[in-house]
Amino acid sequence: MSMFKDIPVEVGVIYEGERIRRNDMQVELGGPTVQQKFELAKVKPLDQIEDGKVTIIGPDLKDLKEGGVYPFGILIEAAGEKLDAGLEGVIERRIHGYLNYIEGFMHLNQRYDIWIRIGKKSFQKGLNNFEAIGKVLYRLFKNELPIIEKLQVTFITDPAKLDQLTPEAIQAYETRDAKARGLKDSEVDTFYGCALCQSFAPSHVCVITPQRYSNCGAISWFDGKASASIDPKGPVFAIQRGDMINEEKGEFSGINDAARQRSMGEVNQIWLYTAFDHPHTSCGCFEAVTFYIPEVDGMGVVQRNFKGATVNGLPFSTLADSAAGGRQIDGFHGMSIEYMRSTKFFAADGGWNRIVWVPKEIKEKVKEFIPKDLVDKVATEDDAKNIDELKAFLKAKNHPVVAKWTDEEPIAETAAVTINEDAAGTMMPVATAGSLPLMAGGFKIILKDAKIYANKVIIQTVKDNKDKR
Amino acid sequence: MTKNVHVKIDEMKTNVGLIKNLELSIGKVVNDNYTEPMGPTPMPSVTALRDWDMKLLAKYKAFYMPDCDSCCLCTFGKCDLTAGKRGACGLDIRAQSSRIVMIACAIGSACHSAHSRHLVHHLIEKYGRKFPLDIGGLNIKVEAPVTRLVTGIKPETLGDLDDVLAYVEEQITQVLAVAHTGQEASALDFESKAMHVGMCDHVGMEVGDIAQISALGYPKADPEAPLVKLGIGSVERSKPVIMCIGHNVVPSVGIIDYAKETKVDDNLEVVGLCCTSHDMTRYYHRARIVGPISWELRFIRAGLADVVVLDEQCVRTDVAEEAAKVNAPVIAASEKNCVGFKNRTNDDTNAIVDDLVSGKVKGVLILDPEKVGEVAVRVAQAVAPVRKRKTILPTPEEIVTIAKTCTQCKLCQRNCPQDFAIPPAMKAAATGDISLLTDLYEVCIGCGKCEGACPQKIMIHSLIVKAGEKAMYAEDNLCRVGRGAIQDTEIRNVGSPIVLGEIPGIVALVGCSNYPKGGKDVYEIAREFASRRYIVVLSGCSAMSAGSYRNAEGQTIWEEFPGGFEAGGVCNVGSCVANSHIAGAAIKVANIFAKRNLRGNYEEIADYIHNRLGAVGLAWGAYSQKAAAIGAGFWRLGVPVIIGPHGSKYRRVLLGRKEDPQNWEVLDARTGETVNVGPTPEHLFNIAETKEECIVAIAKLCMRPNDTWKGRSIKLSHYVDLSKRYLGVMPDDLHLFVRTMADVPSTMKDEFTKILAEKNWKETIIPDPTLLPRMVRKMKE
Repeated sequence: MSMFKDIPVEVGVIYEGERIRRNDMQVELGGPTVQQKFELAKVKPLDQIEDGKVTIIGPDLKDLKEGGVYPFGILIEAAGEKLDAGLEGVIERRIHGYLNYIEGFMHLNQRYDIWIRIGKKSFQKGLNNFEAIGKVLYRLFKNELPIIEKLQVTFITDPAKLDQLTPEAIQAYETRDAKARGLKDSEVDTFYGCALCQSFAPSHVCVITPQRYSNCGAISWFDGKASASIDPKGPVFAIQRGDMINEEKGEFSGINDAARQRSMGEVNQIWLYTAFDHPHTSCGCFEAVTFYIPEVDGMGVVQRNFKGATVNGLPFSTLADSAAGGRQIDGFHGMSIEYMRSTKFFAADGGWNRIVWVPKEIKEKVKEFIPKDLVDKVATEDDAKNIDELKAFLKAKNHPVVAKWTDEEPIAETAAVTINEDAAGTMMPVATAGSLPLMAGGFKIILKDAKIYANKVIIQTVKDNKDKR
Repeated sequence: MTKNVHVKIDEMKTNVGLIKNLELSIGKVVNDNYTEPMGPTPMPSVTALRDWDMKLLAKYKAFYMPDCDSCCLCTFGKCDLTAGKRGACGLDIRAQSSRIVMIACAIGSACHSAHSRHLVHHLIEKYGRKFPLDIGGLNIKVEAPVTRLVTGIKPETLGDLDDVLAYVEEQITQVLAVAHTGQEASALDFESKAMHVGMCDHVGMEVGDIAQISALGYPKADPEAPLVKLGIGSVERSKPVIMCIGHNVVPSVGIIDYAKETKVDDNLEVVGLCCTSHDMTRYYHRARIVGPISWELRFIRAGLADVVVLDEQCVRTDVAEEAAKVNAPVIAASEKNCVGFKNRTNDDTNAIVDDLVSGKVKGVLILDPEKVGEVAVRVAQAVAPVRKRKTILPTPEEIVTIAKTCTQCKLCQRNCPQDFAIPPAMKAAATGDISLLTDLYEVCIGCGKCEGACPQKIMIHSLIVKAGEKAMYAEDNLCRVGRGAIQDTEIRNVGSPIVLGEIPGIVALVGCSNYPKGGKDVYEIAREFASRRYIVVLSGCSAMSAGSYRNAEGQTIWEEFPGGFEAGGVCNVGSCVANSHIAGAAIKVANIFAKRNLRGNYEEIADYIHNRLGAVGLAWGAYSQKAAAIGAGFWRLGVPVIIGPHGSKYRRVLLGRKEDPQNWEVLDARTGETVNVGPTPEHLFNIAETKEECIVAIAKLCMRPNDTWKGRSIKLSHYVDLSKRYLGVMPDDLHLFVRTMADVPSTMKDEFTKILAEKNWKETIIPDPTLLPRMVRKMKE
């Protein structure tokens, strides 16, 4: 590895999955037993950065006791003509990957939660100073992110300095998050599209806006901005927002044009903030799927790892299949969990006012983003296991959707029919009405002394026409 | 599907209406919840996918290595086919070689399908045609991807599997007919038919496995399926031992059920060899897996089996003679393997037991699995105290005496398929040093051919086993019970990491145990790729071999890595027939991510898999016709397969020509333009001579034309690193795999830049790749 020939250990992506056990570690930096720890990226003016400088505040690696656990901080300061503070998060998240490239270096988590171990073997090979680690970071950052013109790295092991810097770092994350979540689609003129998924779902294109993460949950608008500026020919590309055609639904001329072009005309119109009519397409690896529940005129959400059936009797695998493959399916929508934290989360459909059922695992995750008066009104699997229980729950809690219910509730009674089959007379149920919504309403069918003969009957599941507004 | 339905309703009141005295007679009810539109090739005939095969065969040319230069299949011959000569029927050596490949694939496919047919018959008889299929509960929506893809049928009950098998059986007959003298003339057409019958093989396997998973209550696509004991040392030798050999679990189920019913299961060891053992542990977690086929002789000769029960496939045909030497009665339990024994199926159980216990007969044929169960359990209990683990292994002193009779003629080594240095080991043993024999134990595949060759009639294999006894009894390891299919949700979970390159590929280690240097290679290969966060899938003998070794912390591979279909996961799908789930997982990727229809839509899905899914099969110890058939099924899907050194005896490989640019042209489905995507994947079927070569080949064969730049850069990192580490060289073909500079691993930019400049490399694009002109999308107005 000529790029790292002065580094005493190897550096490469193949070391990414490396785990270092306690017995094999030289030192542990940060980790669950240490309070003061962080890693932070800051964008600074060009004249404030000394390119390539590595600073160590406190004892160096070789002066830390073998087997010891120490508080630790990493500060990356970058500058560049095209860099702005919005990209700090993107830069910061690269630290994890880059440090793991180092042989015998384990890095877990991010921000104020970092947990690092340096292996004995690598230490003995000469990885006994932060200077070398700083060089690796510096070279990888400069190589992979050419928009960084200058970069300096600081490692902090001095406890007093960490006492001072850790709260500052936490403050910086909070400010950054608040700013990122506060950024509105209407405030930017560029969105990003991601065609990475096209390698498996050729007709899917993700639109990433400040208020809508990629479906997979892996790419924010800031990530998109960084990727597109680093590699304009790459799979993440800028979409000029264009005219706002429909503010409520989230329709923008630039998105429509990009969708038309990228999908070869399959998708011509996208409404960002709704699951109906022209929803965003769904790929295959979305984190969660939203599904319309016609019986209550509300929407449920289920995430990928949810075991068992959702409130409408269908598991994630079936619901996901209804949405997936780069299609626009009315009433079904694959999305990221992060989107649930956005103020534009299905805003056109009523947002959280329309969400009636969410597994408790995600409800817990996004709780602080659910309007306070609604938190207890959204059912989880503990509250409702089927539509009847859901109706009862929503009614009891007076969920906003209840107000829209009319007196005529859809009929879904189960007709228990048994069939005599073959000479042997084995009994088997043929139809469960739960999966066969009856379309008739307002009239009765009376069959008396009827005999029907058929050579072949095809029974198909019929999708009901829902009233979605 | 339901036939001859008759409904009678005297009175029914519902909210919708009132029904009185309704009678309904229906010839056939097609429960068509399967709303997917039918594709172009449901139940394809032998030629329906010929065009697709020819595309693959043009890209990956058959290279023939005739294992035999003549043909002796008809009485026109025997015909010498060397030096361009044709046989009396006009066939040349290329066509003859491919004909033998096709016959092997047909035999393999017939074997699995007949096994599945027996299972389906038996399970229908026991549980009824209406017994529902359930292979993964709510986490699996596509329950039979291969069946859906090939036949267009969505099976829901055991009875539905009948129609599926009927299709497979017809195709095997058609293909076998082609082998007759004076039929097919072209090597390419023989190849196409080999692929056809290989494709059918996966359908046959899938039918068998989903039937037994559903009816016998196996783990249902469970990544956390339990760990069970593996290895000779795990067998409790103080208890009577029933040893089941083969692939069809039905007689073993009879044994286990009877032992449980009579409450002797805790005082009895039921152990299995070969795939039967996988399926036994899927049914009964207290069963033991002894090991792959190569463990048959050592287990019997060591006297460990009190009763030997034979079902079908990969059963040594000299088991009866071997068992007789240690006074172990044999029960043949399969119509396919009657061993010349008298059929006692309808005889009184007590009489059969008496005859076997007294030694009046050495073995019996019993075709009723429940009767097998009772006889085996009772005989084992009665025989064990009398046999007292009678062995024919020599004592340490005898080893020396016997070794002294060796004349060093070296015929043993010449006859050894691995060319192991037996004569020096005998020479040392004659002086009292058995260490070289002990070393041989670790690598010997137990075929026993050395003994047949020895003019002194030395039981060489027994000497090796005795010398390795300590290691043999230390074989106390673990195997994860076969999980069955891969969940749809697991596939969704890996979508993003595969796209983003975090999972560099899927490696399936399958097949038999004809290993060049023992099973440790399989363990090391599996571990290497799991550690690099590839998805590793195993089955059959490979799953056993991989579980037979431990890491520095004392963990087997099944403890070290999670059992899910995930980055760094190591899955055991199960027995031979469970290999269909590996193809099934690949097929489901197309359905799940691209929403491509599966139903009768083979060509489109194969095109998708071939161009997008970085999966590689490795059959390191493949020996059987079944392995050939499984391989052929993967070729037709466009999934590359690597075989170990013995694989050359399959007579031909399918090699891409990486130096020929035209070989690597695909269409960009977005524009219709032709794009050269480089040799991705380079071969469809190739041989690796060594573990090192194999590891590097796997990493290289994981590249696909659709790789994102991130994915390609990570795949290249592994390829380069493994090549340097195992072969000590920088690969010389890197320029063929770089499309844009973003593909270059960031830590190797300097090296790559230099190489690319030397090779006069030019940037190209990442297309939406397809080999099918009809897949090129048109702009919709």
